[in-house]
Amino acid sequence: MARSRRSRRTLTVIILVVLSLSLISLDLNGRTHSLTSGVKSVANDVYSPLRQGVIDVISPIGNFFAGAFNYGSLQSENEKLQRTIGQLRAAQAERPFEVNQLKQLLALQNLPFLQSLPTVTAQTQYEYSSNFTATITLDKGRADGVDVGFPVVGSGGLVGQVIQSFHHTSVVRLITDGQSKVGVTFGNQLTGIVDGQGPSNSMTADLVAPHTPLHKGERMYTSGLDAASFPSGIPVATVRSFHTAAGASQETIEVDPAADLNHLAYVDVVQWAPPT
Amino acid sequence: MTGRSMVRVALVIFIVLMVQQTIMVALRVGGTHPDLLWLLPITAALLDGPETGAIVGFWSGLAFDLVLPTPFGLSALVGCLLGYVTGSLTAAMDPRATWLKPVAALAGSVTADMLFAVLGAILGQQQMVQVDFLALFLVVGVSSLVLVLPVNRLMRWALAGESNRRSLVPAHTGSRAW
Repeated sequence: MARSRRSRRTLTVIILVVLSLSLISLDLNGRTHSLTSGVKSVANDVYSPLRQGVIDVISPIGNFFAGAFNYGSLQSENEKLQRTIGQLRAAQAERPFEVNQLKQLLALQNLPFLQSLPTVTAQTQYEYSSNFTATITLDKGRADGVDVGFPVVGSGGLVGQVIQSFHHTSVVRLITDGQSKVGVTFGNQLTGIVDGQGPSNSMTADLVAPHTPLHKGERMYTSGLDAASFPSGIPVATVRSFHTAAGASQETIEVDPAADLNHLAYVDVVQWAPPT
Repeated sequence: MTGRSMVRVALVIFIVLMVQQTIMVALRVGGTHPDLLWLLPITAALLDGPETGAIVGFWSGLAFDLVLPTPFGLSALVGCLLGYVTGSLTAAMDPRATWLKPVAALAGSVTADMLFAVLGAILGQQQMVQVDFLALFLVVGVSSLVLVLPVNRLMRWALAGESNRRSLVPAHTGSRAW
């Protein structure tokens, strides 16, 4: 009796494990991935409004306590924002001439200019749904013109790329995620790749020749080279530190994201698909 | 599992999924948030043995896989194994022991997270092993210690009436169910 129960139990577990492995295979296989993403899409369309409803109910309570406990810091943050708005207004007045020049230069090189590309403004629903990926979920999806592969910008630079698009929501992989790789250009037409190292680690710039002249705070922009995943000219990162170890085949460069990834309430999804 | 228990377990999975995705994801400490998913197979296994633990782990993992950006089926696989192993390892122990649930929750959650990350990396998701594991284990471990009791209570309600019950002792013994 006990033996038959044990074998039934073992059989159940074996079936479940095989089922799980089959689902993983379906998801990771390029030809059958659309099946699992279709199921996920339907589930998200059902689940997102429910989740939003719960958030609408509980968020006023959370905001009340957050506001009460952080009143001082909110006030100082407000003052900082007012100062930043003033600085941006001044900078904006000087921009048209530079923008025009850049447009002409890029047109000569036949590269897309970000400001001429259509964008969809989206609100961040929630961040980091898993402890193992650096992602955000937006309140715009396929029905709003957001598709897989579209770049996402905001808060001063490149935020990431859309990796899943559902009917009214989408998931964006942040540039700090370990799977993220962005081709960049900097300095005098130098190129490299900015690699995400996970949400709690510094990003690095790789494939840069040893002893390449750099300076702290130097900006790196998307290169937009052939088959690139992003259009050119989007600020990606700034150099934090750099050195070349003895005998190394490349310079070791640590960079910070140009965008403030801690404040992503709203972002712009650029309707630009990577060339296939 | 009876039909009634299945409906109740599905409801508990849905409630825990909602709590996880609305409240827990906002409670980030050191870039990490608590993870309630693993508590479902752990409590099911403690209450009703390895088979129920594996079944609950599979379905709860699958429900979470629908909304997570990680590979589809990975949480189901880890949940299923976690439920089975927890049930098997604790089969000979006294289910009324007060230390059992916290210890199982702590060890099970931390082990499941580690297995989840390693399997993810093997499947090509290298970023899954690029997290701060110390912060992850601390946050997930401590939160599991605290939250195992309410989750256990929910699971106990869901599995009430199951024939394999181990810790749902009769009230006249005077023992606490959790």
